[in-house]
Amino acid sequence: MTSPGTTGSGAAGRIGAAELAAYVAGSRLFATGAAESAFSLAADWAGSVIGDGVEVVAAGDLPQDVRCVAVSLVGSTTALGELLPSGDEPARAVRALEGRLGGRAGAVVALNLAAENALIPLVAAAALGVPLVDGDGTGRVFPLVEQTTFALGGVPATPLALAGASGEVVVIDTAADRVEELLRPVVLSVGGWAVTACYPMCAGVLARVLVPGTVSRLLRAGAPGTARAVAAPYGVRTLCRGRILAVEGSTGHGAELALPSLPSSIVVRESGGLGRLVRLEAHNEIVLALADGAAVAMAPDQICMIAADGGTVVDVDKAAPGMEVEIMVVRAAPVWHTGPGLALGGPRAFGLPL
Amino acid sequence: MILGVCLGRPPSPVTVAVRDGVPVPAPRAARGARAVCVAVDLDGAPLAPVAAIRVGGPCPEVLKPLVGWPEGSGVAAIVRGGHSLTGRPLAPLDTEAVRRFAEGCGLSDFAVTATGSPVLADHELAVASIVAEAVPGARITLSYEFGGRGLREREHDAILSAALGPHAGRVADEVAGRWPGVPAYFARSGSGLVSAHYFRRYPLACRAGATAARDRGTAAGLAGDAAAAFGATAGGPEAQVERIVRALGRAELDRALRDAEDEVLTRVVSAGAAPGSARVVETTVNPLSYLPDGLYRVRVTAEGATP
Repeated sequence: MTSPGTTGSGAAGRIGAAELAAYVAGSRLFATGAAESAFSLAADWAGSVIGDGVEVVAAGDLPQDVRCVAVSLVGSTTALGELLPSGDEPARAVRALEGRLGGRAGAVVALNLAAENALIPLVAAAALGVPLVDGDGTGRVFPLVEQTTFALGGVPATPLALAGASGEVVVIDTAADRVEELLRPVVLSVGGWAVTACYPMCAGVLARVLVPGTVSRLLRAGAPGTARAVAAPYGVRTLCRGRILAVEGSTGHGAELALPSLPSSIVVRESGGLGRLVRLEAHNEIVLALADGAAVAMAPDQICMIAADGGTVVDVDKAAPGMEVEIMVVRAAPVWHTGPGLALGGPRAFGLPL
Repeated sequence: MILGVCLGRPPSPVTVAVRDGVPVPAPRAARGARAVCVAVDLDGAPLAPVAAIRVGGPCPEVLKPLVGWPEGSGVAAIVRGGHSLTGRPLAPLDTEAVRRFAEGCGLSDFAVTATGSPVLADHELAVASIVAEAVPGARITLSYEFGGRGLREREHDAILSAALGPHAGRVADEVAGRWPGVPAYFARSGSGLVSAHYFRRYPLACRAGATAARDRGTAAGLAGDAAAAFGATAGGPEAQVERIVRALGRAELDRALRDAEDEVLTRVVSAGAAPGSARVVETTVNPLSYLPDGLYRVRVTAEGATP
């Protein structure tokens, strides 16, 4: 396995109209939650604002004191596909954060690079005329804003600004452990989705806490004919191929959890091989895979279902009995496998006492 | 006996007589035919210009209705209104803007798409009644009748279906003229049939009807247009309803499911099923990710037999 990228390795390049297609394709190779409608609208939106292109820079190549902000979609992609953006949400969120902090943001970084979340920071960078940092705050996607390598590195998500489609702007400043609690009802009341600008920090800190090189990796992985595995900086394995037998509601294992959405359980019969019965426990993301009752993969590694026909990632809320899927496990960045990383993004963070 | 018809290339349609699911030598004319089942593809059919009304907020140019459609596809307006996925009104419906656009657009095929209509179709229905009053004889297609995905896809389906409407009307007229008095059905894309009435109203459901029928006929060992004609007879009326529902707890979800099932049963009868034969064949319920408790995408499919 080669190094996933370095900080301070020189200019990473530029995403212009020509590179956008590869970036778009790369961003969905392992992306769950990429409801088709929201994704295609984010891609069209990005294409319409990208102009001469957005510069992609390594965090270490920025002057140390340049302020960087993380930009992401929060809430539901289904809601984004239904309630269309007015167009100025990314800029409005960043400007609101600047207003709170004083001074301008000099670069945008993605919270994660899954589908829309790769594209909305690009829209923000294009709208603000600043570079996009080559890296992101997770190396995969997690359901909560605080589940990032930024937080693991000691950078708080707050102050955090939200911009909604109907012109709403909300700035949240609170203790790190109350961000989600405050954010979620706000997101719901502005229509189910919003663009957030959060984790303000200087480039010197960002270079220390981000998962580096992931933007340029997606650009490579999204080029036609490239193996899917290229998009997985820390390795990927196939758990099984099989057919979905059932999609069931789950009790959430009795845990008192404040995660968005309800848990569900997907049962897959392995075709060929041992014919194992594989159960996927999902809570927005698939958190745990059991094969004949034994745990074979779990968070913080990312577990995803790839449709056998077409090769797209199957959303948890689109999974249906009869679908043929390949279950793949993408290894998370090493920091997620440390003690604090497991506490923040491991199975216990999803209510599974493992 | 049922008559299967493939309306392929002119001049003349290919017909196959079917009794008990088996092709039989065609009798003189179609006397005694219980039904005529038509396979026709609508891709490449002439499209009428459409007046597209979207109910929602302002958006980037690239996301507006009819953007990317060829020149002459129609005219579009965005009017204030719509609902969020939780059913909250985003803004009161701008009824005056709807009336002005309807009166001034000079078209009679309308496609209406409101933000949030899979949850609450009130604003689409309200627009329809304003348009019907402002433009006598208007044909109005509402997006909430089309399932799935997001607003842009639903709007695209509604516009395309509306654009196919006049051509579908001519096809249905031609079939009715050729086989007078015989109930006509049209093969859906995918599987199943719909009545001529339903075909006129939602032609998009049959966009690839001949292709789907040909696949079924080919699987039964026939070839070419005869396969499509035979394939059209191999199926009964079918309809689908897709909604986003909000339900807190199992009891509310069950009630929402029953409502969706009632609706799809009504719809499959409207699609030509004998009322006693209509039944729900599949119900899927998926909780929506990253939304709070109790928002589900519900998809119900019903089938029936021709009378």
